[in-house]
Amino acid sequence: MPRPPEDSRSQTAEVISVESLGADGVLLRVRPQEPLPRLRGARFFMLRREDRLSPAIPRPFSLYDQAGDELVFLIKLLGRGTRALGDMQPGARLRLIGPLGNGWPTFTPAQPLVMLAGGIGSVPFLVGIADALREGVAAEDMTMIYGAATAAQLFEFERFAALGVRVLAATDDGSRGFAGHALECLAVEQEEGRIPPDAWLYACGPGPMLAAVERLSRNTGVPAWLSLEELMGCGVGICNGCPVPTRPEGPLGAWNNAKCCVEGPVFSTDAIQIAEN
Amino acid sequence: MPSLAVTLGELQLANPILSASGTFGHGLEMEQFAPPERLGGLVSKTVTLRPRPGNPAPRIHETEAGFLNSIGLENRGLETYLAETLPEVAGADTRIFCNIGGESPEEYARLAALLDERSEIDALEINLSCPNVQGGRLPFSTDPALAERCVRAVREATSKPIFAKLSPNVSRIAELAVAVEQGGADGITAVNTLLGMQVDWRSGKPGLATVMGGYSGQGIKPVALRCAWECVQAVSIPVLGCGGIADADDVLEFLAVGCAAVQVGTASFSDPGLLGHLAADLAARLEAAGLESIAQVRGSLERHLSAK
Ligand SMILES: Cc1cc2nc3c(=O)[nH]c(=O)nc-3n(C[C@H](O)[C@H](O)[C@H](O)COP(=O)(O)OP(=O)(O)OC[C@H]3O[C@@H](n4cnc5c(N)ncnc54)[C@H](O)[C@@H]3O)c2cc1C
Ligand SMILES: Cc1cc2nc3c(=O)[nH]c(=O)nc-3n(C[C@H](O)[C@H](O)[C@H](O)COP(=O)(O)O)c2cc1C
Ligand code: FES
Repeated sequence: MPRPPEDSRSQTAEVISVESLGADGVLLRVRPQEPLPRLRGARFFMLRREDRLSPAIPRPFSLYDQAGDELVFLIKLLGRGTRALGDMQPGARLRLIGPLGNGWPTFTPAQPLVMLAGGIGSVPFLVGIADALREGVAAEDMTMIYGAATAAQLFEFERFAALGVRVLAATDDGSRGFAGHALECLAVEQEEGRIPPDAWLYACGPGPMLAAVERLSRNTGVPAWLSLEELMGCGVGICNGCPVPTRPEGPLGAWNNAKCCVEGPVFSTDAIQIAEN
Repeated sequence: MPSLAVTLGELQLANPILSASGTFGHGLEMEQFAPPERLGGLVSKTVTLRPRPGNPAPRIHETEAGFLNSIGLENRGLETYLAETLPEVAGADTRIFCNIGGESPEEYARLAALLDERSEIDALEINLSCPNVQGGRLPFSTDPALAERCVRAVREATSKPIFAKLSPNVSRIAELAVAVEQGGADGITAVNTLLGMQVDWRSGKPGLATVMGGYSGQGIKPVALRCAWECVQAVSIPVLGCGGIADADDVLEFLAVGCAAVQVGTASFSDPGLLGHLAADLAARLEAAGLESIAQVRGSLERHLSAK
């Protein structure tokens, strides 16, 4: 049975600050009791406010950034779990389980790539881009397309834009950058020759977007990796609440589904089938 | 340090805290968070004869005071359990309970016979009560005669201690408790999940793909406690309390109604490290109360009532 990663542990962390990013986003900065080494992009933690009033089930969040011994999370406020975290005060402690999951696979030097982010799916790319640069992908071979409903939902856009790689905005309402979805933006960029047709795809975002990336990679044969944001109960492989359907002929095909938390959250499109063909 | 050791029939446990089936992996997956020697016992996820793919997503949904699931007994079947999980737990310094699920008394007996040969297993737990199969009809845990037949079939197939896990979804759980005792159970686990569901009234979308599922966690503790107490009063075999336990005080409440030990499920999702320190928390709690052993707490409700 798949186990949680060896470096994961359950501990508490102190809230250092909660910074509002407009109506429904926060940057949560915490200091774990035991410091963590540098972590790969797309690894995640389960977070929970332990006050006996907030939800008892922790929620998964990708690592956004590390600064010294502090971890930074970028959280979109949706329901009870995220709001409980967003309302925390500096000095309070929370439950921190992790680091969990596999993270982005090791990047291939000199291989052009595109990072496709849908909304809060941008989070695992901040560290991901730094990983890719360190692992030999040239800055000019990398494009991030950051899509969201409106410009206000492009949380931390300037931070991404300052990384030294090309970062394009795509908004549904056209309030910033390309008017349309991230994948429509990709199609135009490829048609006009600014992104090579064989650039590998790394995507994180809402289910329908990831399904579209899966279809694209299947149609073109271009390799793609998806970081899934499945519902999770435990994050460590014990609740069976995060099944992802596997492709029978793929590397995980020995069983009908994979556990997103301990076998993902990043999967290659060879391994899983989330799109309904 | 207060003594935490307990005996369940012929089985000695270092402490009264076990993991609940389906909430702590199959074997030693959680060892880095909660070393197995700190638990009285590890209970496997339900093992079935043949592999079961489980139910579609969403399989989980948190509600205000608890947790709904419809996993559907996903597991890779007995063969894989025997080949992969059991060798892994062989060295673990704790009691290993294998929880089994079947569709007929014969199937339960078959599973028990195949597991009987394996020395890694200290006891069997018979899951009579999973609400996530057969559309929540719970055939074995609502019909005392069928429950008794099932336990008897297992009894005849194994010499290992057997524990029957009951469902709270019945009007008189004591009748089921008596039936499984008559069938030859060495103990009872009370309880499995309550049947529950959730719906979003705007979209009409159910919280679980199967609509109905099992409800667990803090919200079910009063119901579980009542069920455990009814069982304790009805039988003379030990009862393992289960449902909504999240800390040492919860454990002590189940001991107070007369349980010999407890199982902890959903609370491990809140903190996978909980079972690594719950026994120590329990000892500290007893010590702070000036008590030397859990035996002093066990059955305190009964003593209180009869002193009146
Ligand atoms: C590996 C992983 C990494 C993640 N990283 C981040 C991150 O860095 N930042 C961030 O803000 N969020 C992230 N998420 C999503 C986040 O976990 C959910 O938004 C959160 O659990 C919602 O909890 P809640 O109690 O606020 O909402 P709930 O009350 O549980 O739900 C409110 C609404 O949000 C929807 N919802 C719930 N969970 C999800 C989900 N996983 N995906 C999409 N919609 C959901 C529900 O259907 C409902 O409509 C990640 C999820 C995973 C699995
Ligand atoms: C996700 C999940 C999976 C479960 N799977 C099983 C199972 O396979 N077999 C079983 O006998 N009980 C299963 N249960 C029930 C638990 O073992 C336990 O009886 C119940 O959850 C009540 O305890 P709790 O409130 O401490 O969780 C499961 C419970 C949950 C939440
Ligand atoms: S979230 Fe519990 S098994 Fe993946």
